[in-house]
Amino acid sequence: MPEQAQRRAPQGQPEENPPDNNHAYEELRHLIIAPEQEEIADIQERLEDLARRTKDVSTVVAEAITLRREQGGDRALAGALAPTIQETLRESVRRDPHVLADALFPVMGPAIRKSIAETLRTMLESFNQALEHSLSARGIKWRIEAFRTGKSFGEIVLMHSLLYRVEQVFLIHRQTGLVLNHVVATSVPTQDPSMVAGMLSAIQQFVRDSFDSKNEETLDSLNVGELEVWIEEGPDAVIAAVIRGHAPPDYRLAMKEALEEIQRLYSSGLANFKGDAAPFHAADELLSRLLATQHREPVAAKKPRAALATIAILVIIILAWAGYSSYLLWEWSRFLNAVRGQPGIVVISYDKQGGRYHIRGFKDPLAPDPNALLSHAGLDPNNAEFDLAPYYSLDDAIVVQRARQLLHPPEGVTLSEHQGELDVEGTASPQWIAGVADRATLIPGVATVETSHLQNSHLLQLKAPQSAIESVFLLFPVGRAELEPGQEDAFAQTQKQIRDIVAQAEHLGEQTSIELIGHTDSTGIEGTNQLLSQQRAEQVRARLLRGGVPPANLRPRGVGTTQPLRAEDTEEGRRLNRSVTFKVTFTPTSPVN
Amino acid sequence: MLQKKICMLGSFSVGKTSLVRRFVESIFSDAYQTTIGVKIDKKVVRAGDEDVTLVLWDIHGEDVYQKIRMSYLRGMSGYLLVVDGTRRQTLDDALALNERVIQEAGKVPAVLVLNKSDLTEKWEIDSTRESELTAAGWNILRTSAKTGASVEEVFSKLTTAMLAE
Repeated sequence: MPEQAQRRAPQGQPEENPPDNNHAYEELRHLIIAPEQEEIADIQERLEDLARRTKDVSTVVAEAITLRREQGGDRALAGALAPTIQETLRESVRRDPHVLADALFPVMGPAIRKSIAETLRTMLESFNQALEHSLSARGIKWRIEAFRTGKSFGEIVLMHSLLYRVEQVFLIHRQTGLVLNHVVATSVPTQDPSMVAGMLSAIQQFVRDSFDSKNEETLDSLNVGELEVWIEEGPDAVIAAVIRGHAPPDYRLAMKEALEEIQRLYSSGLANFKGDAAPFHAADELLSRLLATQHREPVAAKKPRAALATIAILVIIILAWAGYSSYLLWEWSRFLNAVRGQPGIVVISYDKQGGRYHIRGFKDPLAPDPNALLSHAGLDPNNAEFDLAPYYSLDDAIVVQRARQLLHPPEGVTLSEHQGELDVEGTASPQWIAGVADRATLIPGVATVETSHLQNSHLLQLKAPQSAIESVFLLFPVGRAELEPGQEDAFAQTQKQIRDIVAQAEHLGEQTSIELIGHTDSTGIEGTNQLLSQQRAEQVRARLLRGGVPPANLRPRGVGTTQPLRAEDTEEGRRLNRSVTFKVTFTPTSPVN
Repeated sequence: MLQKKICMLGSFSVGKTSLVRRFVESIFSDAYQTTIGVKIDKKVVRAGDEDVTLVLWDIHGEDVYQKIRMSYLRGMSGYLLVVDGTRRQTLDDALALNERVIQEAGKVPAVLVLNKSDLTEKWEIDSTRESELTAAGWNILRTSAKTGASVEEVFSKLTTAMLAE
C-alpha cells in the first residue's frame, strides 16, 4: 500500500521535527489564508475607523431612506426623523431666523392669502344671505320668528334657507366611546364633544341591547328636532355627523368612504388605542370634507319678476283705461261743444249718471236732431238722454229757415237775415213781391224787410220787346207832321211790336203805357216847333189807333227842341231830331194777395 | 390630552350621582339614567404633569327591577364601586356585582368608595372588614356627598392606578 504510506508520512512530520514543521506550517497557512486575512483586517479597520464608516454610510443613506419609504415604513421613518428635524429647525431659527423665513416666504404668502380668502368668502356668503333675507318680506317674518323663539336671526335664516348643513362630525373610538377627533362648521355652537361622543355610544349600545339586534345591526340615524345625527360604524371607529336639514342619500356613501379610509390609515392606532387621540388629529382633513353645506335653490328670485310683470300689466291696463276714458271725455266734450255751437239748440246743463249723459236745454223745432249729431260724432246715442224744451231761436240761420218755410220764396229768390233785417233778393212775380214785405214782418225774429234787390220777373220778360220799341225813330220831313216817305215799313213793324207787347203784358197782368214823344230840330221858331212836335206825336197815335192799338195805352206829347236826341252839327243829327220816339212803362193790373 | 373611559357602579340609592354632581362637568339631564340607564359626565384630572380627561359613565344603580347593561362597561379603563357605608348589604351587593364586572370586562383598576361618611353613627362597616378588603387588594376611600370629603381624591387615585397599568 505505497499510497497509504505516502499520505501518512506528512501527518507524522510535525511531531517528529517541530521547529522545522512549524515554520513550514506558518508558511503554508500564510499561503492559503493571507488574502482573506487582509480582507478581514480591512473590514475591521473600516468598522473601527469613524471617518471611513461615515464615508461608507454617506454613499448609501439616500438610497436607504428611499428603500425604507418604498417598503411602507414611512410612518416609522417620519417618527424617527421628526424630533431631529424639529430640533434642526429650532436651531436654525435660533441661529438666524432669516434663513428659514426666506425659505418659507414663497410658501407662506399663498397659504396666508388662501386662508384669508377662504375666511372672507365664508363671511361674505353668510353676510349676503343675511342681507338678502333681512330686506325681504320673508326676512321680516324670520326676524319675528327669531324674536318669538329667542334664537338668533342667523340661526333662523340658516334653518329656512338651508337644504342641509353638516354642522359637526365626530370620529369616535368604538370600543371606549371616546372621541378621537371632532370637526365643526364655522360658527356652530357645540357641546363638549367627549360627553356627546360618550352619550352617542351609550345610545348605540342601549339600542343594540334593547332590541336584541343580531349581526351587529346598529342605529343609523337619530332625529333631534331639526337636527339629524347620522351614524356610520366600522370595526374600530364610528363616524357621527350632526346634520341640520335633510342630507341626500349620497352623503351616507361619503361617510362610508371616509370611515373606510380612516380604518385603513389608522388600523393599528385604533386597535391599540389607550386614550391618546393625538395621532387622529391628522384625520382633520378627511373629516372636514364631510362638513358639507347645500343651500336651497333660490326659487324666490322669480317672484319679484312675476310681481313686476303683474304690476306692469296692471299699469298698462290702468293707463289704457285712463287713456280710453279721457278719449271718451274728449269726444263727449267735443260733441257738447258741437251741440252748443249748433244754431237753434241751447244747452243749460249736463251731467253724467250711471255712464249716461243727461243734457238739458232748449231746442228750436227747426234745429237738427241731437241724436243724429251724436251718431255723426261716432258716439253711442244710447249713452245720452236729451231733455230739450221747444223755443223760437233768433239765430240768423234759424230765422232764415223759418222765413223760407213761411214765405215759400219762388226759385231765384234768396233770403238772408242779419240782426232782425230780412234781405230778400232775386226775381219774383210782382204779386209775390207785393205781399212779401207785409208777411215777412210777422215772422218771429224778423223786424224789417229789405226788398229793394227784388226784381219783377214780368218786367224782365218784357224787357227785350220794350227795348226794341224804345230804340225806334219815326222820321219826319222838315216842318211837316207826316212821316217821311220810306218810313212806312218801320212804322208797320213798330205798330206790330206795340200790339204784341200790349197783349203780352196784359197776359202777365200788366197794363202797358206808351208815351209817344214828338221832337223837332232847332230850325224855325220855338213856338212853332212845340206845336209841330205835338202834331207829329198825335199823327203817330192816330195811325196806331187805326192799326188797332187800344187808345188807353197811348199818351202823345210834344217836347219841341227841349229834349234833342242828337247834336245838330250835322244834317244826319238834325234829321234824327225830326222824329217821334217811344217810352214804355208797365203797371200791375190786379192787386196781390 | 389623554382620555379614559371610567364607569361608576353600585346599588340603587347609594348616592353615586349626588357624590359626583358638584365635581364633574355635565350637559345631560339625570333623566337619561332612568331611560337608557346611563348618563355621561366629564372630569378633568391633573395627574403628574398632564391633564387626563375622564369620561364618566354614571350607570344606573342596580336593584331587583333593573340589571346593569354590561355592554356599557365595554372599553372602560377603570371604575368606581360605590357603597352606602350605612347599609352593609350594599357592600355585599357591590362585591357580587364586582365579580360579574371582572367576568365581563376583565380586571381593570378600581376604587371602592364608601359613601355617606358623614353619617358616622349609622356606619355599618367596621374597620376589620375594611382591613380585609384592603388586604384583598382594594383601594378604599371614605367619601361624603354632603361635605365633599375625599371626592377629588377618588378620581385622582383611580387615574393614578389607570396610568400605572
